[in-house]
Amino acid sequence: MTVARSLFIPLVLFLVIAFLIGPFLIIVAASFSAGETLAFPPQGFSLRWIAKVFTVESFRASFGMSMFLAIGGTLAALVLGIPASYALSRYKLPGAEIVRTIVSAPIIVPGIIVGLALLRYIVVPFQIGITLALFMAHTALILPYAVRVVSASLENLRSDIEEAAVLLGSSRLGAFFRVVMPNIRGGILSAFILGFVTSFNQVPVSLFLSGPGVRTMPIDMIAYMEIVFDPSVAALSSLLALMSIGIVFAAERFLGFSRYV
Amino acid sequence: MFQNRAEALALALPAAIFAAAVFLVPVVILLSDGFRNPAGGWTISAYIDFFSSPLNQAVFLRTLKLGALVTVVSAVIGYAAAFAIVNLEPGMKGKVTGLVVLPLMISPVARTYAWIVILGRTGIVNQAFQALGISDVPLRILFSETAIFIGLLQLFLPLMIISLISALENMPKDAVPAARVLGANWFQVFWKVILPLTKEGLVVGGTLVFTGCLTAYITPAILGGSKVLMLETLMYQQVSVSNNFVAASVIAFILIVMSFAANILLKRVATARNKQRRAAA
Amino acid sequence: MSDASYLSLQKLTLTYGDSPAVPDLDLDIRKGELIALLGPSGCGKTTTMRAIAGLMPVKSGRVRLDGSDITRVPANKRAVGLVFQSYALFPHLSVYENVAFGLKLKGMRGQELDAKVQSGLKSVGLSNFANRRPAELSGGQQQRVALARSMVMEPKVLLLDEPLSNLDARLRLEMRTELQRVQKETGVTMIFVTHDQAEALALADRIVVMKSGKIEQIGSPEDIYNRPTSSFVADFVGFENIFPLENGKLKTSGGLINLSSQPPSAAGLAWRPRMVTLGIGPFRGTVRGTSFAGDSREYLLDTPIGPIKAEVEASQPAYALGAELVFDLPAEKAAPLARFA
Repeated sequence: MTVARSLFIPLVLFLVIAFLIGPFLIIVAASFSAGETLAFPPQGFSLRWIAKVFTVESFRASFGMSMFLAIGGTLAALVLGIPASYALSRYKLPGAEIVRTIVSAPIIVPGIIVGLALLRYIVVPFQIGITLALFMAHTALILPYAVRVVSASLENLRSDIEEAAVLLGSSRLGAFFRVVMPNIRGGILSAFILGFVTSFNQVPVSLFLSGPGVRTMPIDMIAYMEIVFDPSVAALSSLLALMSIGIVFAAERFLGFSRYV
Repeated sequence: MFQNRAEALALALPAAIFAAAVFLVPVVILLSDGFRNPAGGWTISAYIDFFSSPLNQAVFLRTLKLGALVTVVSAVIGYAAAFAIVNLEPGMKGKVTGLVVLPLMISPVARTYAWIVILGRTGIVNQAFQALGISDVPLRILFSETAIFIGLLQLFLPLMIISLISALENMPKDAVPAARVLGANWFQVFWKVILPLTKEGLVVGGTLVFTGCLTAYITPAILGGSKVLMLETLMYQQVSVSNNFVAASVIAFILIVMSFAANILLKRVATARNKQRRAAA
Repeated sequence: MSDASYLSLQKLTLTYGDSPAVPDLDLDIRKGELIALLGPSGCGKTTTMRAIAGLMPVKSGRVRLDGSDITRVPANKRAVGLVFQSYALFPHLSVYENVAFGLKLKGMRGQELDAKVQSGLKSVGLSNFANRRPAELSGGQQQRVALARSMVMEPKVLLLDEPLSNLDARLRLEMRTELQRVQKETGVTMIFVTHDQAEALALADRIVVMKSGKIEQIGSPEDIYNRPTSSFVADFVGFENIFPLENGKLKTSGGLINLSSQPPSAAGLAWRPRMVTLGIGPFRGTVRGTSFAGDSREYLLDTPIGPIKAEVEASQPAYALGAELVFDLPAEKAAPLARFA
């Protein structure tokens, strides 16, 4: 019984982690291949595919687009989401549940529907550019995460410190910036990182929202794979994953990111 | 709690109006399209048309089946993994949890892409099978339900494990030893103590996984190819290939109904068990 | 402005949503007084305090402070200090910065600021803790920081919300003395809210007992303790045997009863357990419960007029459980109640 249990735990963990991480490690290994096609085990060792990633014009453009959407969309979602979270956690708001449902709904509805609906009923009738449409879609998509994470850190903060600040002579707005913001900074940064990663990796919302020269990074990767099956997408995937993991790791290290998510 | 309503509305409305304009209104219009007839009246004929096609039926049932299967299997593996993780010493626990969460940070494109290398005709699995003499010709694993199942399971298992870890950690520390002292075997401990006490985590994890499976696009697109479709990929085809927006609206509505139904059903199951126990007590 | 109404609440009405929390409250407080707002939870004492601070909108009526109407003055311009029950220290600021917070907002800088903060910290004995974060302090120390933070602002009125409730017994005594000392040294008008009658009796110059948003009785600690004017106040300060009077007779569950001597004219009478005489008297009872409390013994009696609580000195002979005895409720010792709820 004890022997069985002492074997059981490491075995389960090994298998689960191998299943979850293994495929990604194969991709990383394949990106150092010297061969012409994507394969494992890699044929030889070279950095040619990693180097190639930086020379593909469409990758550069779509990377720029995805960065813009991830950073801009997350900032916009925070600008909308922080006041909304504050209202939801600090006020007796009439219809609070309705507001909460509306702002968190984009997380429940499949992204492909959001993208299509936006295309048909906003982009086409109002003649909006694809870039703006993508920006709006990504902002709407990140908003639920922003509201959830910021609300959680507001719930953990006593509201009477704001009253204390007011009684010491601060205005309500001043109290927010002097005593609320410094204390939810960690939550806001966590929301930013979560929003960034979600937006950057998002595919379905962006599926229908692409135009000449306007594509997000993951969509561009899929399009590239359909034409060329070389290890450059593996190399690109590895680099992007390294970026995401690096950001999250730094956030965990310096902020305790996981407390907020 | 502040009482000023005008202030509260001024703070909350921009976000609500934005989400309503960009998301809610267009989605509602899209969904209503499936219920309109050309004369402008209301009809469900598009739904009858949709379900009368054997291909669509197959896609619908496949989506349901894969979603349910992935949810159940991830719950089984999830309990084992979560139980193993919460019993680790604190330092180790953090590291292993980190490894479980790690895939969530990696683009689904990259994660799905890896399975092509593993499951393809000349992939690792076929190489191994041939080397071991299990099969002479390469097996066709890619572009099948099996491939989609594996891909979806890998994509969403972390969500289930994380939900169950927090549920197991919130469980009263003495519940399991108490049950053991009272003479329960491990099966009984799981069924009568752990499951009822962690069912909220299971409902959260189950909803996340099932909804994830319904809404995943890349995995069925890459691992299922153009023949083995799920509702999401079918919807994409209807729009980009057939320009059939009514069918797309029907599929969208079905997807939304399915994810809500799954959530309600899981909650029901959880509370039904609860009532049973209370009635017994 | 007369000295008797430095702070005055006039027909003050406060509401939560649509339900009235405090209707038509009138209260006058002298400069330099130490007032306790005493009552059970939900009696409106905290709501009243928040209205004085400006944290609660006033539905109707007025709040006047030091000669001017401050009803519509925003909370940040009132010169009213508040020490929160949870202390509400700013977690991201050091003790020093917490105390300096309000002074900086007043525009105070440099040496003047430093001197003021240092003297504030010194007055509560926390000079050595200036660089700590609130989370690194004990509950008692946090409360001192909160006190210093309010006091350096030289408020006209200092409000304290359940100032002793979060402290253990030893610190409670210490903090009591501390509050009295600060009040004496600065002469600040202090109002504290409490649900603990012992705390109010020990600390206050005057006690305002509240019930359902209304003032039940105002008086010195001696008044409240010895001469409650209503059954509610009597019950609240430890009179355990309370009966209404009807035509000079005690109205009990056993009917109208004549007392051994002529009662004063009042709506009711109340006796503390130690006012009940055991061994002689017209009433019979059976001992249902007994407990020993060092100097005294307490008995719970089952009687035809209902349960009676009695307390006698421990040197008296003890009654056993189930013993039959006679007792008296002497009318001349009872507190006459003007109102019976």
